[in-house]
Amino acid sequence: MSRIPFYLKERLENLRERVLHERFEASKLPVWERIILTWAPLLAFWVVISANLEPRNLFLGATVTLIIASFMRDMLTEDIRRTGHVLEKLLYFTFLYLPQYLIIMAFRLIESNLKVAKNVIFLDIHPGIVKIKTDLHSDTGVTILANSITLTPGTLTLDVSKKLGETYLYVHWIDLETLNREKAGEKIKGDIEEWLKKVFW
Amino acid sequence: MIETILLLFGGAVMLFGALGILRFPDVYTRLHAATKCDTGGAMSIILALVLMMDAPALVRLKFLVLAFLIAMINPMVSHAIARGAYKYGVKPKVVVDMYAWDNP
Repeated sequence: MSRIPFYLKERLENLRERVLHERFEASKLPVWERIILTWAPLLAFWVVISANLEPRNLFLGATVTLIIASFMRDMLTEDIRRTGHVLEKLLYFTFLYLPQYLIIMAFRLIESNLKVAKNVIFLDIHPGIVKIKTDLHSDTGVTILANSITLTPGTLTLDVSKKLGETYLYVHWIDLETLNREKAGEKIKGDIEEWLKKVFW
Repeated sequence: MIETILLLFGGAVMLFGALGILRFPDVYTRLHAATKCDTGGAMSIILALVLMMDAPALVRLKFLVLAFLIAMINPMVSHAIARGAYKYGVKPKVVVDMYAWDNP
């Protein structure tokens, strides 16, 4: 490689980058499917928020959300793992994954409320800031994981850092149990990361 | 019946959150109380309102959208406040501080 002249090297780098980009673009869904997948949630949100079902209002909402969806077609579907067919994935998501996540988070939220009440009464806190590693890399996945960690009992996310292709989370833990990174990660993340790894990359 | 239980639970959780903000020692532990108790209390009160109200279904769905927005935005705001406080220089009262090891 070092024998290649400078200008050729630069062009080779450009070519490699373009091939990577094209492969990434080619592995996406076709454009109209992405537009429809973004349009449906936006239209549902419009109907729920405006709360009247006159045809004129529905037509206005459909037009505006279609324009927005055609601009921002990568907003919702970009960070989702690309395996299997779209319909299969959608059915799995609505009937299996989403209720599972809601049930897990509801019980965790109740548990964390009771734990905060217990901590307020007895003041038996022993706080510390630990660093844990996650296997998620996309922005949406890391955001949902950090928010879920904040709502689980006794933990609060401080910061996210991405170094050398790995993602780390700094977590303020109100009742420090262990300093080992793997054990702390297991205790803090629980089964939420397993769930998120099925949907997001 | 179930809406009374939800209302009482939400009120009690909000009360403990307020007590926690008064009693805990520093910013970060106070944020624990604020975030969790506000989210849980507000969501259970909203669910009780959804069950109690006699309104068309679309208006009830609006309340569910409100609950979803609270559950999504509240942890994000607490994360922003904690990070801003750390960057501003508020020292946490902790046993181990791995964030200070990596950002000297």
